[in-house]
Amino acid sequence: MSELDAALTVFAQEAEELLTDMEDALLSLETKPDDSETINSLFRAMHTIKGSSGLFGFSAVVGFTHEAESVLDKVRNGERSIDAELISVLLDSKDHTAKLIEHCLTQQEAPIPASLAAESERLIRQLTGRQTTDLQQSDDSVQLEIEGGGEISVDDNWLISLEFQKDAFRNGMDPLSFIRYLRTLGEIKQILTMAPELPAGDDMDPENCYLHFKIAFQSDANKQTIEAVFDFASDDCDIKILPPNSKFEEYVNLLNAQDDNHVKRLGDMLVQVGALTQNDVDHALQSQQAIVESENQGPSKPLGEILVERHVVQQPLVDQALKKQEQTKQKLASEANYIRVDATKLGHLINLVGELVISSAAMNLIVERHGLSDAGDVAASMNALVSSIRDTALELRMVQIGETFSRFKRVVRDVSKELNKDIELYISGGETELDKTVVEKINDPLTHLIRNALDHGIESPAQRLAVGKPAQGTVQLNAYHESGHIVIQIADDGAGLNSEKILDKALANGLVKPDHDLSQQDIHNLIFAAGLSTKDQATNLSGRGVGMDVVKKNIEALRGSVEIDSIEGEGTTISIRLPLTLAIIDGFMVGTGQDRYIIPLSMVDECIEMNANECEIDEIQHYINLRGQVLPYLRLGDYFHNQIADTHRKRESVVVVKSGQTKAGFVVDELHGEHQTVIKPLGKVFERLNGITGATVLGDGNVALILDVQGLIQAAIKNKSRPAPFLTSQRIQ
Amino acid sequence: MAKTIMIVDDSASIRQVVGIALKGAGYDVIEACDGRDALNKLTGQKINLIITDVNMPNMDGITFVTEAKKLPAYKFTPMMMLTTEAADDKKQAGKAAGAKAWLTKPFQAPTLLDAVSKLVLP
Repeated sequence: MSELDAALTVFAQEAEELLTDMEDALLSLETKPDDSETINSLFRAMHTIKGSSGLFGFSAVVGFTHEAESVLDKVRNGERSIDAELISVLLDSKDHTAKLIEHCLTQQEAPIPASLAAESERLIRQLTGRQTTDLQQSDDSVQLEIEGGGEISVDDNWLISLEFQKDAFRNGMDPLSFIRYLRTLGEIKQILTMAPELPAGDDMDPENCYLHFKIAFQSDANKQTIEAVFDFASDDCDIKILPPNSKFEEYVNLLNAQDDNHVKRLGDMLVQVGALTQNDVDHALQSQQAIVESENQGPSKPLGEILVERHVVQQPLVDQALKKQEQTKQKLASEANYIRVDATKLGHLINLVGELVISSAAMNLIVERHGLSDAGDVAASMNALVSSIRDTALELRMVQIGETFSRFKRVVRDVSKELNKDIELYISGGETELDKTVVEKINDPLTHLIRNALDHGIESPAQRLAVGKPAQGTVQLNAYHESGHIVIQIADDGAGLNSEKILDKALANGLVKPDHDLSQQDIHNLIFAAGLSTKDQATNLSGRGVGMDVVKKNIEALRGSVEIDSIEGEGTTISIRLPLTLAIIDGFMVGTGQDRYIIPLSMVDECIEMNANECEIDEIQHYINLRGQVLPYLRLGDYFHNQIADTHRKRESVVVVKSGQTKAGFVVDELHGEHQTVIKPLGKVFERLNGITGATVLGDGNVALILDVQGLIQAAIKNKSRPAPFLTSQRIQ
Repeated sequence: MAKTIMIVDDSASIRQVVGIALKGAGYDVIEACDGRDALNKLTGQKINLIITDVNMPNMDGITFVTEAKKLPAYKFTPMMMLTTEAADDKKQAGKAAGAKAWLTKPFQAPTLLDAVSKLVLP
């Protein structure tokens, strides 16, 4: 109780200060009646006193200051002008407020004496300009308490407001039977019957219900139970139930006890502690929706405000709930489930996991070799663990590409300004994840490609309008996963690539011979060749003929590939395909002779045994007839010049690999199956080797080479287009 | 003077159980086996509450409520529907017809009396 006393002291001081300020403000208004800041401070004074009085349950003060506040609000909004008369009433009101507070502080238990209540009423009439003969009563319950004698105390009582609708009698509702039933739950302390809309004489329909009730009700029942009493009347009656102030503490305790592991909505919090029922919240949400729809502008009114206005909950409780909500939010924000980790530590972990994968492969080998069946079980379960450790460790380095993407918003904005073009960047697939190391390395190529699209791709607004396109050009950045790869697309709706222009340049640079037979696709791919720029005049933004070749090289260094798809006049789409990670992949191991090779599993389409009916090899034309389809192929043993005395070839198999749209077959001697492959980069000396991107250590300590499928497919296609070399030599012989 | 309640239901057992409960609480009870039968029994006598089932032969509960509301003597009589939890659309239809109170089946005697006493006291 001492805490409450201390709070009361603070309240008394605060109120006194506010009232003094109010007096000063009122007096200064006499000379400067239009000073909006002064009027604001008056309003705030009344508002604050109202709020804090409500907290202590001084309903008389609340009721009175509420009226003064409403008047001042009107003045503030320019709906009512302030004059000498109003100022003097306000001065009286200020004195009266002080008296009311004084009474509440000194004689908390005693009801407001009649003289004070009468004074309240008189001042309210003067403030609001209402006539005493006015039949129109306000529907404001707080004020009605005062007008009804100021004796309904909301301290320990529920305040139930029942506004029956006109049809209530016709629907068989008898207000009296509900009120009688209410008595089964507790004691009705006081009941006010009102007929605010009762028409005069002839206009009255005896079948209509004009009655409204305000009930002070004392009960230990919870809000839900009390509301259930009026279930049947809910269609014909506007029911508002305000919990007693004495419940306030209980609700606050319950609020504070709510678990703060996730942020709840205000309504849900208050329903959970029992201060509101679901019905209250639903109605308030409906009216919130109605306000939004009718006004159709601005932000909607907060739910808390609506609830307080409907008199179903007290302001302090809403404040408390909001505070709690805020605390929960902050707590959650501060404990956000992230840990910052040094990237090198993570890199080290991934290396270790790589070693773990290798040594578990070695262990498997040994277990298998010695045929230990009991050890085999242990090895199998350890294998499963190792592969899930591997996946989890790799996931640690996965980041969303969205952040990288959104950096380009600025680039697009700045560049389009510089170029006087109107260009919008659309981003999708920002949540696609890939390895952090890849993200870092993809930034430069992406920047280059986007600048290219902005500079060369999108035309000027005038040009765009001339060809019937919207003046605003668009560039789209998209990312998605596709079979173990991430695909990043940069699409613009600009002019597209001009094949003739590219070809002319290429001819001039001697990149192609005049008697070429290049497909449209091949010509487009020429822009990745060194020393070719289609822009006639290089700008400082992009394109001096160095760039696209570097882009391609950078992407290939990441074991990725670039594809270009362009329609002249409609736009260009560049697709970058990248492996999700640079550390460990699922591989498919094949062997020719003594050597082992790894093909990334995601690129393997199928494996077929040679000489089967569906697969026929044509050594002369250099293709494989795969179920009627022509498939370029490469004999890996020949390609890598394996030294094998192959007078009689063993049974061969074909691994059909796919990269993007192109397919090829690799002819191998042995299929070893799936293999967890830890990628070990090749040393600098071997960087430019064709057909190999890396190596890995096998369980038995041997080294297997990881194939550059992309490059090998190109090699296979080239092989097919010209006669097989050994045939040529035969002819010469 | 005891208050009179009419119970309309095609199930004799429900009528019986409801009848016993209400009589025990001091109400007079009139029984009817469907909407048509109930309308025939509404002859102008004072009835304080009508409790009706929804699904009944000859005339269903919602039609009955609509018809009963048209009779001057029963214009203000409260109507209570017996619904199942699942039939929310039925409840809404009943409310629209004028039966503002409802009772969810299955129910027990105390629930029934509680709901009834919100509308009429014995």
